[in-house]
Amino acid sequence: MTPLNFRRRPRAGFRLALLAGLALALAPAALPPQLQRAAPLLAGAQARQKQLRISAIPDQNPEKLNRLYGLVASELSRQLKVPVKYVPVTNYTAAVSAFRTGDLDLVWFGGLTGVQARLQKPGARVIAQRDIDASFHSVFIANTSARLKPLRNVKGLAELKGKRFTFGSESSTSGRLMPQHYLNQAGVKLRDFAGGAPGFSGSHDATIALVQSGAYQAGAVNEQVWKSNLRSGKADRRRVAVIWRTPGYPDYHWIAQPNLDQRFGKGFTSKLQKAFVGLRRSNPQQARILELFGAQKFIPAPVSQYAAIEKVGRQIGKIR
Amino acid sequence: MTAIPARSWRQLRLAPPLLPLLPALVWLPVLLMLPAVFHGGGWDLIGQFARAAFSPSLDPQVLGSALSGLGVTVGIALLGWALSLALGLLGGVLSSRTVWRTATGSALPAAWMRRLLAVPRAVHELLWGLLLLQLLGLQPVVAVLAITIPYAALVARVVSDLLDALPTKGLEALRLAGAPAGPALLTALGPALQPGVLSYGGYRLECSLRSATLLGVFGLGGLGTDLRLTLQSLQFHELWSGLWLLLLVMLALEALLRGLRRRWAMPARFGLTHRSVGRGGREVALGLLLLLPVLVVVAMALGVNPLQLGQLQPLPPWSADWPAVAALPWPSLIGSTLGLTLLAAALAVGSAPLLLLMMAPWPWGRVLMQAIWALGRLWPPPLTALLLLFVLQPGVLTAALALAFHNLGILGRLLLEAEESASVLAEEALGAAGTGPRLALLYGRFSVLARSYLAYGAYRADVILRETVVVGLVGAAGLGSLLLEALSSFAIDQLIALVAVYVVLTLVGEDLSDRLRRRLLAA
Repeated sequence: MTPLNFRRRPRAGFRLALLAGLALALAPAALPPQLQRAAPLLAGAQARQKQLRISAIPDQNPEKLNRLYGLVASELSRQLKVPVKYVPVTNYTAAVSAFRTGDLDLVWFGGLTGVQARLQKPGARVIAQRDIDASFHSVFIANTSARLKPLRNVKGLAELKGKRFTFGSESSTSGRLMPQHYLNQAGVKLRDFAGGAPGFSGSHDATIALVQSGAYQAGAVNEQVWKSNLRSGKADRRRVAVIWRTPGYPDYHWIAQPNLDQRFGKGFTSKLQKAFVGLRRSNPQQARILELFGAQKFIPAPVSQYAAIEKVGRQIGKIR
Repeated sequence: MTAIPARSWRQLRLAPPLLPLLPALVWLPVLLMLPAVFHGGGWDLIGQFARAAFSPSLDPQVLGSALSGLGVTVGIALLGWALSLALGLLGGVLSSRTVWRTATGSALPAAWMRRLLAVPRAVHELLWGLLLLQLLGLQPVVAVLAITIPYAALVARVVSDLLDALPTKGLEALRLAGAPAGPALLTALGPALQPGVLSYGGYRLECSLRSATLLGVFGLGGLGTDLRLTLQSLQFHELWSGLWLLLLVMLALEALLRGLRRRWAMPARFGLTHRSVGRGGREVALGLLLLLPVLVVVAMALGVNPLQLGQLQPLPPWSADWPAVAALPWPSLIGSTLGLTLLAAALAVGSAPLLLLMMAPWPWGRVLMQAIWALGRLWPPPLTALLLLFVLQPGVLTAALALAFHNLGILGRLLLEAEESASVLAEEALGAAGTGPRLALLYGRFSVLARSYLAYGAYRADVILRETVVVGLVGAAGLGSLLLEALSSFAIDQLIALVAVYVVLTLVGEDLSDRLRRRLLAA
């Protein structure tokens, strides 16, 4: 091999580059307070005892998540007189795991992830759900070019065989679990879709965008997100339409660690529950929280209602 | 029977500069297939995405979140890189045939070390992250380790390859003169190894930044978290705030490393030329000394605590259903994953020299091409995949294009760098004799680079095999999608089987690419 031949050696450029590199290397060190606020990983052990760490499965845009759970944190902190911190997590599985390992104290889970979390953390407490969560719905949507007519009943889903179809996130109750359950009832297996498998778009917003664009001919989404996409004009009725609405099933709920009473004092868990159930539209700050949650109020959530979700989860193999 | 095909194969052998262009032939079938998967229904979204690049969100909250996320990402990248380099050097020495042969007389332990190190390497850093999350909880140390483990094994492989490719005459002379194995190895091979290790080490830092971003994309903190959430909710203005910041950091880092590489007279990354380090040695030592306190400060700022490693959590409860695992459609899963890997690798490896040649006469074309390559490196593959889905149907082809675009950015930059440092004499002579700029570049410079570029391309194919995990989004039913599904179902038995399959595939792939590389470099 020939030896290398360097034509020039830019010294000034080198100094600049060195400076840039040093600045780069030191950047993380110079930012500790902001880091503590925003980095989900930084829920270090040091503050574990005194702080209530809340989180949520990521099913909304980050700006809304930050706004919403920032408000929830300050409201809970005001009512319960403990520091509350919102720890963002971007992945459903990571939220369940972090709850199991005790890194999150109170999490807004979906139906399936909530059951997974309680099975992995025996004794975890179901705190509350929204008024709309006791009977939540998914909608099957289709690109208008796929020429799928609105379906009369669940058996009609058999029309989706051979179509390009996408779910939302793998662990989403409304974007995957219950839609797959109804597809099973109509005799549609996952390998029946075009390409031999469904897609997993990762989020409800992405599902709507991908079905609207035509990448997938049909998909299943959370009805609440679908409605808000219609309102904001992101979903175009001329290009994407609902073909079927599922029956109701229980979905989102707050779950808390079993040991909150030991850590924050006796009766803390029931105070927490009262704080949620007591949120009122008449209080401006609380009204904003309820508004962002898309709910009129929070209600206590009976544990028994999730038995159906667990059964479906086991049938589909998401709970083992 | 065997002699005749062997001879005809030899007659068919291509001129070396044409070799790197060979994989680009895959574009022919791809271009034929593209119209069939094109749907074009999402041009409005692509347009929104492109326009948003010129009006990123300047909201203080968005920028603040992106900046602090960037700090975390850079910190994780730096720590993971430094640790992996230290461990990788050690592993590289331990898996070098030359070292074992000199020390014990048998090279056998080296072969076993190499196989052993293929295990951590076969598992993508993202997967390490999600697995370690199960054992350690949501701690910063998880992301650092997730980068360290596979990277250390990768560095070990490259270091041992570099070591074994060094000429051993000096070593033999020292040994014959009675020098003990250790000092003889250090004296004969140490200085010769240094430039290669420095150059490769710098490159690993770039990779580490990309991996730290991707880990964030899958929920392990940092800027990737913001990118993922803004992407999934199609908030393109906010997405671009993060992307621009990341681009600045990426380009600054690349400029820094390039400056250092030139300063310390390093050979190009896949040039296997040997060159003694001049006066750079002292500066390197000084740089390493300066790096240590920086690393400590970064670790403290991130809250990385090595003691957390002692607090292992039990795995979630699980039961094994091995017959069900065995009943999975393994041949088709493996087949589609391998197909995806080969297609993406051929597209990436072949396109870089092809584009370089096409743009040779036009300086502005080269600038544009470099800008596009920078975007390829910048965008995590899931982002490219989603963008492609706006106009293409899901499937293996779309997934391959997404992976190829990312890896083209990486390979293209390496090729440019090698091209810049290769001798221009032959090219200028050809040019002076009246050859056009493209042919002069092809025969003047590519002929020197061809083999080492292809050898590097073989390494890259290994990486692409692991990266197939991250494009499950496009519905290509392969090992990657099944892996994400198993993770979200906490199906530990399936996970074990999948990791085992990835390990075997990596071992076979490395063996093949080793043979190919040896043949290429020997010829």
